[in-house]
Amino acid sequence: MTSPILPIHTDRLALRTFERGDIEGLNAYHTLPSVQRYVFSRTRDAAEVAEALEIMRGHVSLQRPGDTLTLAMCRNRALIGHVALHWSDATAGQGEVQFVINPVHAGQGYMGEALAALFDLAFDHFRIHRLFARCDGRNHNSIKLMQRLGMRLEAHYREHALFQGEWDEELHFAILDREWQRSTKVRDLPMRHRVA
Amino acid sequence: MALYPDYPIRTERLTLRPFTRGDVDAVYAYRRREDVARYLFDVALSREECALAVQQRIGQVALEGDGDKIILAVELDRNGSVIGEVSLILRSADARQGEVGWIFDPEYQGQGYATEAAAALLDLGFGPGDLHRVSARCDVRNDSSWRLMERLGMRREAHFREHALLKGAWNEEFIYAMLRREWLGRRNAVSTARPGGDQ
Repeated sequence: MTSPILPIHTDRLALRTFERGDIEGLNAYHTLPSVQRYVFSRTRDAAEVAEALEIMRGHVSLQRPGDTLTLAMCRNRALIGHVALHWSDATAGQGEVQFVINPVHAGQGYMGEALAALFDLAFDHFRIHRLFARCDGRNHNSIKLMQRLGMRLEAHYREHALFQGEWDEELHFAILDREWQRSTKVRDLPMRHRVA
Repeated sequence: MALYPDYPIRTERLTLRPFTRGDVDAVYAYRRREDVARYLFDVALSREECALAVQQRIGQVALEGDGDKIILAVELDRNGSVIGEVSLILRSADARQGEVGWIFDPEYQGQGYATEAAAALLDLGFGPGDLHRVSARCDVRNDSSWRLMERLGMRREAHFREHALLKGAWNEEFIYAMLRREWLGRRNAVSTARPGGDQ
């Protein structure tokens, strides 16, 4: 797949690949209990966060199925979270999205803004057919966010795996290329920005 | 959690047992059919392919590690015919997850044989197999299959759309599942409802 042009600028954010200098910003949120509660691979201390950063710094393109593109979310040059696109199945054009935000910056629409840009990238640039995201059944913020993005609930697994030592409840949300409302961004602009 | 069942497994009208080379003709009789192959991952099989399939199944009689399968021939007691097969796959030993599947000859539909055989396999999985959860999957158009899952008391957990290609077309798939406590609850309800049974 051809490399996308980065960074991507949205209304308020810059989405770019991770850099060594992000270690402090990443430390600030990655080990927080509220973040750790729902991440797939836990990081318990600074050393593990540093390992995670090394891995994410390598996620710069989708060349082969199984690759992941991870983008840091920057607001006024500060790292506030990250989004990732994992190319899970090339033949069927499937991608999985993951996302994490520093709770300090939650509730302001940044994640929705970053994911909308990521969806555009996935469908328009990488020509992915279907995007899906998984989340814990108790993660209400993620659930509301995915519903707002127009995703459908496709699966609700109960106790199908052990997650952090307990039986899980895992939801899968999904959206097809033809269902993604790219015009959402236009609709959300203040009145004076819209063409008559 | 290794599972090495004793065979055969007998139900009211059926005998579930490992496959033998002598089953090839019986298997061919239904796996050559388009209506049977339609919703399977395979296409309709030739006799040689059936022989290979049977050969593979002969040793699939126990569960040890992830991915292991038990695939049993379902024999109808009243005439000794093999009318289909049922399978139990160990998906995760750590999380005690299994998956059931079945293929039945349409000639023997409508008599409750598939329900009886699948129920015996759930007894095996949740009983001696000590599984926590058993799932099943099928194409959404495969009415007889997902209706069987519902008759067994399974819940629909997923409805995937265009998540994979099957034989060149977009697949739409259901996943059903049930938990150990749900199966045991059903079995207890059935046995206490039997007339003249212990109360």
